[in-house]
Amino acid sequence: MDWIFLIGLLASAVRFTTPVLYAALGETVTQRAGVLNVGIEGIMLVGAFLAVLGAVATGSPWGGLFIAIGAGAILGALHAFFCVILKVDQIVSGIGLIVLGLGLSGFGYRVTIGSSSQLTAVPTFERVDFGPLTGVPGLGPIVFDHHLLVYMALGLALALGWALKRSGLGLSIRAAGEAPEAADAAGVEVNRLRFLCTMFGGALAAMGGAYLSIAALSGFVENMVAGRGFIAIACVVFGRWNPLGVMAAVFFFGLAEALQIRLQTAAPDIPYQFFVMIPYALAILALVLVAGRAKAPSALRIPFITGRHARSRAHRHKEDTL
Amino acid sequence: MTHTLDARRALVGGGGALVVVIAAFGVAALFIVLASKNPFDTFAVLFGYTLGNAIGFSEVVVRAIPLTLAGLGLCVAFRANAFNIGADGQIMVGAIVSVALGLALPGWPSYFAVPLSLLAGALAGGLYGALAGHLRARYNASEIIVTIMLNYVALQLLAWMIRGPLQETMAIFPRSDALPPSASLDVIIAGTRIHEGFYIAAAAVALVYLLLNRSALGFAFKVVGLSAPAARYGGLKDRALIVLAMGLSGGLAGLAGSIEIAGVHRRLQDDFAPSYGITAIAVALLARLDARFVPLTALLFGVLHVGSGAMQRQIGIPFPLVWIIQGIVILAFLYLSYMRGRARAITPEAV
Repeated sequence: MDWIFLIGLLASAVRFTTPVLYAALGETVTQRAGVLNVGIEGIMLVGAFLAVLGAVATGSPWGGLFIAIGAGAILGALHAFFCVILKVDQIVSGIGLIVLGLGLSGFGYRVTIGSSSQLTAVPTFERVDFGPLTGVPGLGPIVFDHHLLVYMALGLALALGWALKRSGLGLSIRAAGEAPEAADAAGVEVNRLRFLCTMFGGALAAMGGAYLSIAALSGFVENMVAGRGFIAIACVVFGRWNPLGVMAAVFFFGLAEALQIRLQTAAPDIPYQFFVMIPYALAILALVLVAGRAKAPSALRIPFITGRHARSRAHRHKEDTL
Repeated sequence: MTHTLDARRALVGGGGALVVVIAAFGVAALFIVLASKNPFDTFAVLFGYTLGNAIGFSEVVVRAIPLTLAGLGLCVAFRANAFNIGADGQIMVGAIVSVALGLALPGWPSYFAVPLSLLAGALAGGLYGALAGHLRARYNASEIIVTIMLNYVALQLLAWMIRGPLQETMAIFPRSDALPPSASLDVIIAGTRIHEGFYIAAAAVALVYLLLNRSALGFAFKVVGLSAPAARYGGLKDRALIVLAMGLSGGLAGLAGSIEIAGVHRRLQDDFAPSYGITAIAVALLARLDARFVPLTALLFGVLHVGSGAMQRQIGIPFPLVWIIQGIVILAFLYLSYMRGRARAITPEAV
């Protein structure tokens, strides 16, 4: 393995990491508050599509990014409506989102940009200009040759790592997911917090999708997220619900993705499909290795019900169960 | 208690499903208007093409066969609270193994080759599903993520098979050789593509109904689904039950894939069952996990899928509208379950 290969590998790993990192950080916050959203794949798809549409409509990638973030928050709110307000099964709602996102992005694309006969130019993000720093051997391509969204993801991971651990809001979020009754007694509005955290998770998932379509590439392709939303969820478990751990887990997957693409050309005798399988197989392996020992937020997937209403509802639930 | 639950379910079963479907078509109409098309014309084409003539309807039946089988499989898994999202992968693995065997047995009589290759496909799909069940039961690895990852693995496996070991002798297209007639299912109604898989699907409906509603095993699945700790306390082997439920679920999906090849395509190719597994989720949920309703909801989604082709050609409505309708069906189903006051909290066993 030579030097140039290694630099290229690491630089490309950073680029593969970014979209999954946004989604995984959002999912971390959502899950820490007690809500599981398995539908972020669908939200990423909608984000990727709307980022392109918005960028074309407003003439700026920023316009596209903001529209994607808004749509992601709305889809997050839809999930929260089912999970936090109606308190129905979180997994089924997430599955609904996956299918809905597939439909909304595919349908939307085909009736807008996809229907025009000529190629639409999509305004995309430029890489940040670090001047001479980009030329520094080794460090330049790995650290100083990316889109702003890459550095923002890194900053977000650090900020969330700090905020969840040290800030009052972070404590409330963790309490909502670990001990909602205690949080409620301490004056935290558990359900409102869960709702907002689910919206936040949706917004970040859409941002990850937007990175794919208006930074990494310039354009939307149907089903372009290709399972990254699910890998993000595996990374949340693998990183043990801690933003910095999650970042490390996502980078590990980014590295695997960058490596498998290089191996395809390096080992032409082996059918390339086996290399494409690697990240998916690794996600399974990661879950097997970690999930048994990792401790999920105690109240994950358990709706929080307050007051007298709660007791009658819980009672009814018990009847159903027995 | 089960008695009143069943009564309530029967009371709202049919009517509720109708409400869900109407809601989904209402939302679809909205999107059709957004695409500046007329929803009434669109639905007229959708239903006219599929229900207005015998050939169109026969295609709906052909499509409903694998959807019924895979949907039944998901009923089994979902009853045990195991979220099998991997029917697509299990369909592909089942088809690969059954075609490999069907091609390897050219001279064998069909009463031997057909059941053997279909069973092998079911077994392969079953093992693929049971693998995810085992990882959930033994290592607490979320079956949702694992089955989805296994879908992507199966997709690559299929892509490799039809370009490598199983590619046709001519080696031109990425597809396998055609199955010999002795390893294929015959058409049962001349002039249509409805094949013997119809009987297998019908038998499976009866068997899965008996399994889930009339057998001790079905009851055990239900108990594990409601509460694994309670099941364990009651002396049930909750882990083994989850592996078994996932295995049966994958087995039915594997059978669906094998039958789809042996009855319709006759050879392995890319995208031979486009997202049938995801559609089967909507089929199973809309049937309220009741095997008796699965053929009906499978026919409904058959109409949607077969008709969407005509919708796209004649009106210019893009195919992904089908996914929007399916997504809304799932969410509307959830809303309905809330309305019934049956929202139940599930303890986090696996994530």
